[in-house]
Amino acid sequence: MSFKIILSVTAGILVGYFLLPEYIFDYTDIIIDIGLCILLFFVGIDIGRNKTVLIKIKKMGLKILLIPIMIIIGSIIGSWVGGLFVNLPFNESGAIGAGFGWYSLSAMLLSSYSTEISALAFISNVIREVIALISIPIIAKYIGDVESIGPAGATAMDTSLPIISKSTNAKTAVISFVTGVILSIAVPIIVPLIINLPF
Amino acid sequence: MAVRLLLYLAILLVGGFIGFKELANKKIISKLDHIQSGSLLFLLFIMGIRIGLDDKVISSFLKLGVQALVLSVFSIVFSVLLIKLVSKYI
Repeated sequence: MSFKIILSVTAGILVGYFLLPEYIFDYTDIIIDIGLCILLFFVGIDIGRNKTVLIKIKKMGLKILLIPIMIIIGSIIGSWVGGLFVNLPFNESGAIGAGFGWYSLSAMLLSSYSTEISALAFISNVIREVIALISIPIIAKYIGDVESIGPAGATAMDTSLPIISKSTNAKTAVISFVTGVILSIAVPIIVPLIINLPF
Repeated sequence: MAVRLLLYLAILLVGGFIGFKELANKKIISKLDHIQSGSLLFLLFIMGIRIGLDDKVISSFLKLGVQALVLSVFSIVFSVLLIKLVSKYI
């Protein structure tokens, strides 16, 4: 699956860069929206067929929050550590990490701070999403089901959800959606908070 | 953003209800896996097209790629490691 995912994204990038005229861009938005809705519909059917999933999730209760909390802490600390290697101050690297893969919003939130950091947030979170799409099946296979939500971040509720659902099980798919929702709400709160840190 | 969230939730719930009540055609259920893979790969292809069409992304990728890659890889690795710490409680 990972190989097919890489192939699809790469083929898309090449076709988009070399073959298609720029105005196509405006149409891709609606295609992605419709495609995603159809896909989520089938993911829903898949989850619904698994009758025990609701009971399992109910049993978890507030423990379900552990996953988004760990992703928030992990993403920020991770980008702080990564920032040390590429000479970025903590407020800049941390804010970029707090995009949790939602590239359009994190770039917008940082655009008034600096164009360069905004561009870096954009590209870094695009890369996060691409790595997520590729690594989720591998992490699910070799490390664990809930661990595979880690790379997805905020995209755990949309673009990464079908892959997580396919690579794991209905219970993890539900945790993934909840995680994605919480992280998506967290992005516009945490990014401005961290960029204004005095260090 | 809020509208989108509700839309996704509504679609998942409708799908979930159909799956739970077994309202869907058996033929469709047996092809669920293929339908999901197919539409997923198509969606990723379109996402790739978006990246390829955006000159800003391509040019900033060449300029900022290394920095961006380091930040995203560390974010992902730490996220997965921290989840691993708590996954036995899930």
